[in-house]
Amino acid sequence: MYKYLIICSLFLPRFVNTQNVLIKNGTVLTVTKGTLQNTDILVVNGKISKIDKNILAPQGSNVIDATGLHIMPGIIDAHSHIALDVVNEATNPVTAEVNVGDALDPLDVSIYRALAGGVTISHAMHGSANAIGGQCETIKHRYGTTNPDDLRMVGAPRTIKFALGENPIRTHGEGSKIMPNTRMGVEQVFRNAFTDAQLYMKDWDDFKKGIKKSSPEYNLRHETMADILKGNILIHCHSYRADEILMLMKVLKDFGVNKICFQHVNEGFKVAPELAAFGASASVFADWWAYKFEVYYSTAYNAAILTRNGVVTSINSDSEELIRHLYHEAAKTQRYGDLTDEEALALITINPAKQLGIDQNVGSIEVGKDADIVLFKGHPLSVYAIPQLTLVDGQVRFDINKDPDDVRVDVNPNEKYTTFFETDRAHHENNGCLRGIAEMLMEESYAKYMRFKYSKNHSH
Amino acid sequence: MFKKYFFAFLGILFLFLSDALTAQNSDGPKPLSTTYFIQNCFVVKQPGTVLPGQNVIIKDGYISEVGIGLKAPYDAQYIKADSMYVYAGFIDAHSNTGVVKPEAKDRPKVTDPGNPPYDVAGITPQFKSSDVFKPTDKSVGDMRAAGFGISHVAPRGLMLPGQNNLFLLNEGSSDKLLLKSNTSQNLQLEMNRGVFPSTIIGVIAKFRELFKNASIAGTHEEKFKLNSTGLSRPDYSKEIMALYPVTTKKIPLYFKAPNTKDVHKALSLRDELNFDLVLSEVKQGWHYIDRIKKTNTAILLSLELPEDEKKEEKKEVKSEEKKDSIATKEIKKEEKKVVNPEKDSFDAKKEESVKQYLSQAAMFEKNGVKFGFSFHNVKPSDIKKNIRKLIENGLTENTALSALTTYPAQLLGISNIVGTVEKGKLANLVITDKPYFEEKSAIKYVFVDGKKYDFTEKPKKDNKPSESGKMVGIWNYVVEIPGSTQKGKINITKSGGDYKITVNDDSTPNDEDVADNINVEGNNVTFFIMADMGQPVKVEFDLQFEDKTYKGSVSVGEFGSFPIKGDFESDPK
Repeated sequence: MYKYLIICSLFLPRFVNTQNVLIKNGTVLTVTKGTLQNTDILVVNGKISKIDKNILAPQGSNVIDATGLHIMPGIIDAHSHIALDVVNEATNPVTAEVNVGDALDPLDVSIYRALAGGVTISHAMHGSANAIGGQCETIKHRYGTTNPDDLRMVGAPRTIKFALGENPIRTHGEGSKIMPNTRMGVEQVFRNAFTDAQLYMKDWDDFKKGIKKSSPEYNLRHETMADILKGNILIHCHSYRADEILMLMKVLKDFGVNKICFQHVNEGFKVAPELAAFGASASVFADWWAYKFEVYYSTAYNAAILTRNGVVTSINSDSEELIRHLYHEAAKTQRYGDLTDEEALALITINPAKQLGIDQNVGSIEVGKDADIVLFKGHPLSVYAIPQLTLVDGQVRFDINKDPDDVRVDVNPNEKYTTFFETDRAHHENNGCLRGIAEMLMEESYAKYMRFKYSKNHSH
Repeated sequence: MFKKYFFAFLGILFLFLSDALTAQNSDGPKPLSTTYFIQNCFVVKQPGTVLPGQNVIIKDGYISEVGIGLKAPYDAQYIKADSMYVYAGFIDAHSNTGVVKPEAKDRPKVTDPGNPPYDVAGITPQFKSSDVFKPTDKSVGDMRAAGFGISHVAPRGLMLPGQNNLFLLNEGSSDKLLLKSNTSQNLQLEMNRGVFPSTIIGVIAKFRELFKNASIAGTHEEKFKLNSTGLSRPDYSKEIMALYPVTTKKIPLYFKAPNTKDVHKALSLRDELNFDLVLSEVKQGWHYIDRIKKTNTAILLSLELPEDEKKEEKKEVKSEEKKDSIATKEIKKEEKKVVNPEKDSFDAKKEESVKQYLSQAAMFEKNGVKFGFSFHNVKPSDIKKNIRKLIENGLTENTALSALTTYPAQLLGISNIVGTVEKGKLANLVITDKPYFEEKSAIKYVFVDGKKYDFTEKPKKDNKPSESGKMVGIWNYVVEIPGSTQKGKINITKSGGDYKITVNDDSTPNDEDVADNINVEGNNVTFFIMADMGQPVKVEFDLQFEDKTYKGSVSVGEFGSFPIKGDFESDPK
């Protein structure tokens, strides 16, 4: 009981720490401005206000001794599905109007687990069931709140999920017997959706100019597609094969859209110069492939090749497990591709920040940026690295020395106690890009559902 | 003179007769007189005002007089109410009373799941609860027996099930019982699987679109009426037009929002689109008390409460311990030494959580937020018991009574005719032998629109051991899931009045699921099991037993509801 009260006080409702924090005497890996030895960081009102040696602690500061510790910016995961009650609205190949931000789940324990891995921001995405899925939400891991709004990162640009290849084909072509049933069909779905949006915009323009007297019907789907055409929404596209990646870049060029980050992009290494020329970025797995046919031609050198070709590259988790050690995933690029420490760390900090359009505020340790900071024992790229303390907006959200036995924020009165293993297993099967699809298909074909249920790693 | 006495005599005669003839729920002969004289009672005029030694005269359906020393009209039927309490009839501010649950249907087949017809998508705001309200439905009689004279009835359905209507809970034709039509609309985070919208994000997106279009359509239609020159003819759907009054705040939108995230969604959507919101069926709304207060949002709390498991568990442990031999006891002691701090913490939080659910009403009261109740998921016979639980957890009786009377009257815009015991108001009354909220109080009479329902004689309890014993045994079952048939056995045993049910599926013959939350009412048995389908999935059974067969429905987590049937196989082993 007392323990519970302690947890409550640890997770104060306010999410920006108004108390000053002084982190003293650490090895600061700024990512953008080199490594600073024996350096202090002063945090005022949740922002980094000073980085220097021997800063005097203002009165009432919370002083954290970082002697012997490495300090890096909070890790950013450009592709995750945590803290969401819904991932897929899989009933239509285009569902641009839906927004997973409407189904944020601040009570999800995965947020805390991500914090324990030093991750302070993740991109909570719609799934990959549809060619054009729903809008996504960039969230700050302010675990402890019950209010979904507290998770939103204010000022982060709008993003939307696109998907190429097998997932939309399987869901709609095979599942519902409608377009797209082939990769060509997927391309046409994009072209149709953009064209519809152009016509829609013209209708409204005509009405606003008085050319047409009657108001057109409001269509949230076209409205959202129009916002992409206007450059107000960043595209994050689930992709594997090089030919498809080129296809989408061609489509976007035809419609004058240039803000895109390719997700997974396992064959990105084949088209790295083309991606760089287009200005597209890439968010990859370190070494995960062969879980379905279109993901066989892959390499662990992908991130390094993309980086050296000038593509802004990040490494993501798409998983509640990988999100806990993205620093290991980044370190693999040193084994496979000899990236420098700074290049490797950029893969999980400033680069994903750029891909999410939030690099002005986070992604490195610089004066003026949000105090999203992780303290590591050991260098974060070492296999011995262990995160010690994770701060979000200057507020300690994870402390390895004060790690409670149970961190549930809310327990439903009807809930039965389950072990981590049980819930994790459930999550694992329910996890990832195709979450929600099994349920959708169950009535149509129970057999298919069973196949989904027992196939491993079907979801990426 | 003689005539007058004669009628009075007849009236008294009728008093005796009527009790026998117009037993509740039966359509007895019309009473000779519609005038009643309630003698020497406590009148709870409104929450907090109790007047002793009162007489109440009811005439032609309304309260014609309340006071001390009143003279009974010559044609009045007397109700001797010494030490009885007269309350304003309770008002059910939102429920599905009188609306029969539709049978579980297979998912509709559509060729394009992304663009289903409105009705398949669950978008039926043009639908009226008055088209389906059945005064003969059991729920109507049950609510009336619980003291309710008026229900604000919502149709059943999905996302936009239709418009609400106010009904008097009397017998008779539903047209005559309709008190007020098209009072409000409903929005629910409920959907058909497999067609758009199939998720809550789909529902919210679709609602945003419908709302904007309703506003556009309504405005256009008004413009067209004023001057049609140069305007295209409005050809909007009935679904869209049914939402127009919501966009202009002519009628409110009732949003079913049980848990904290639902409440957040409702409040956010209201702030975004600007409509008149009524939060309904709220179980976990305390995180947003300040916001609800600041925005003056109407709120109805759910009376479906969590069970206080701890008490029940303790009972179980005790009875088990008695059975245990000394040897097994020692083993148990050793087991107890296993330390599981996570579970301890979980248990502490769960206990705290149950407490919070039960204290919600008190929290709202302390913060000065007025509220009513909604009755979607509570059994009418549990209403008083559950309100008492809220009172035990800090709610005052006056606020509880206002949540049953004055608050809903105001919310529904009918406080001029009901909600208090006052001269001139509709004769909707509840008469109890003790103050209503006392544990052992009983409802003796209920008046609805001046019509008397007598509960002084309790219906003989059919203690039919044979009836309920009928369910005991081993039953097979067949569940038809499209593309597959699931078979297995249900084993029902009974010891000391308590049922025990286990379920064995043929696919996993060695796994036995023990049923929880077993509820037996007449021939109806409900329970649930937590089945292991890779993850724990709640499987709820609702079975109607007949002689040697039964049928019903099984709802499997989020997957939907499927028909189940089976036969008696043997006595339990």
